[in-house]
Amino acid sequence: MNCEQFQEILPEVIDGGRNVEQETHLQSCPVCSGLVADLSLISQEARQLQEFADPAPRVWNAIEIALRREGLIREPRLGPALLPPVKHRWSFAWLAPVTAAALVAFGVFVYERGAREPQPVAQVPTAAPAAVTNLQTGKSQKSVNNEDQQLLEAVGSRAPTMQAAYASNLQNVNAYIRDAEESAQADPNDEEAQQVVMDAYEQRATVYEMALDRSLP
Amino acid sequence: MESAQRAAQLVTVAILATTICASAEIRKEFRFTVGPRATVSVTNQYGRISVKPGSSNQVVVVASLRSDRAEIDQSQSGNRVDIISHLFFEATADTGRVDYEVTVPADASVTLRSSTGPLQAEGLHGDVVLEGSQANIDVRDISDAHVHAKTLNGSVTLSNIHNGHVEVTSVGGDVTLNRVSGPQVQVNSTSGKIRYEGDFGNSGEYYLASHSGDIEASAPNDASIDVTARSVRGTVENDFPLEPKHTPFVVKAGSAFAGTMNKAASSVRLFSFSGKIHLKKR
Repeated sequence: MNCEQFQEILPEVIDGGRNVEQETHLQSCPVCSGLVADLSLISQEARQLQEFADPAPRVWNAIEIALRREGLIREPRLGPALLPPVKHRWSFAWLAPVTAAALVAFGVFVYERGAREPQPVAQVPTAAPAAVTNLQTGKSQKSVNNEDQQLLEAVGSRAPTMQAAYASNLQNVNAYIRDAEESAQADPNDEEAQQVVMDAYEQRATVYEMALDRSLP
Repeated sequence: MESAQRAAQLVTVAILATTICASAEIRKEFRFTVGPRATVSVTNQYGRISVKPGSSNQVVVVASLRSDRAEIDQSQSGNRVDIISHLFFEATADTGRVDYEVTVPADASVTLRSSTGPLQAEGLHGDVVLEGSQANIDVRDISDAHVHAKTLNGSVTLSNIHNGHVEVTSVGGDVTLNRVSGPQVQVNSTSGKIRYEGDFGNSGEYYLASHSGDIEASAPNDASIDVTARSVRGTVENDFPLEPKHTPFVVKAGSAFAGTMNKAASSVRLFSFSGKIHLKKR
């Protein structure tokens, strides 16, 4: 079995078991084993997102439009599954838009959740600050820790020597996020403080992006 | 005695042969003919990528492979050239290392990725994107282009960037900007230090932010800036006589300052939580 054949049946491998031939290829091919590790992580993250609540249908519509524009899906999709249909041909190119779509979906979901929660009028001068100041409440600390742990496990399985560096970076960016959110909540009218919250989350996204990058040593 | 000498000779020959094989580099060269504003991407796992301007219609890629545990996948689709290092099973950082020397038309857009780097680009006026988790990034002599650099722990050095849309993201690496100007210059870091040396141009927005890293900006007396600097738990220091200005936040002496200088043509915002901020006279 070569990489192309393996990647054509990748969804089945992720969702179900593997036969001996597939397992043998997986053991011998770092590219495919890395891909399976990434997909499993994304799949787990997507399931966790579903546990909070279903985002509005327009969120999924937007993702579907984006994926259709990229030529990654052809048939209409009804459910919130982020992974392409089984029979489609696979390539690495779809990983980027899918990951981006998951992040966008989560961002919109958190935004909507934040906007729905009742808050004192004085603390909500505009919609944008409300969205960023509620990011942390949209996701529990336990959930964040769990995500980080999964990421570190994924890094450890591919590049054990890098695990400590990623752990340190995650610790630092989480401290950044905590400080930024405290600062923004202390003064909801401070636009710069709101900007810094986004900067902090961008740093966290960078750590995740690098960890899931195909070129990780 | 003779057999011992023969064994020693054999061992010596074997060591020599191994050394020669191990040090042998495999050099490969690829040439692509492209049109104006070509797009070139190079994705590497271990090793240097260096890009310089060359012929106006040729992309030349010289790859130096350390072993046969890696090969180069190359493709061209119209005006787009993709180069990828393909490592075989059990390739290590040493055996899988590939160093690239690339020349492109000066107007080409270039995307470089390497985990270990270093990544270097110079002399271009097409967009430049460089990413690498541990890669040191060095970009110089770029004009009228977007420059995006992203790294986890590598250092980022940008020099002589004119009229650039510059965006630098570094989680732990230090960032140095020398004579960098343009409509948008943004640097965001978690723990890296940020150093800017230049005149802040004449109409740009400059935003330098680090969670715990120090920020040091050096400018001449004739810099035309509208500056705001804040450090939540760190200290701020300013060498310039600024005209006071209104701020949406309370300015606490020693932890924030704000004001304008000359015609205030460029906006400069410096922000840190625990780092020290210093606006220095050059």
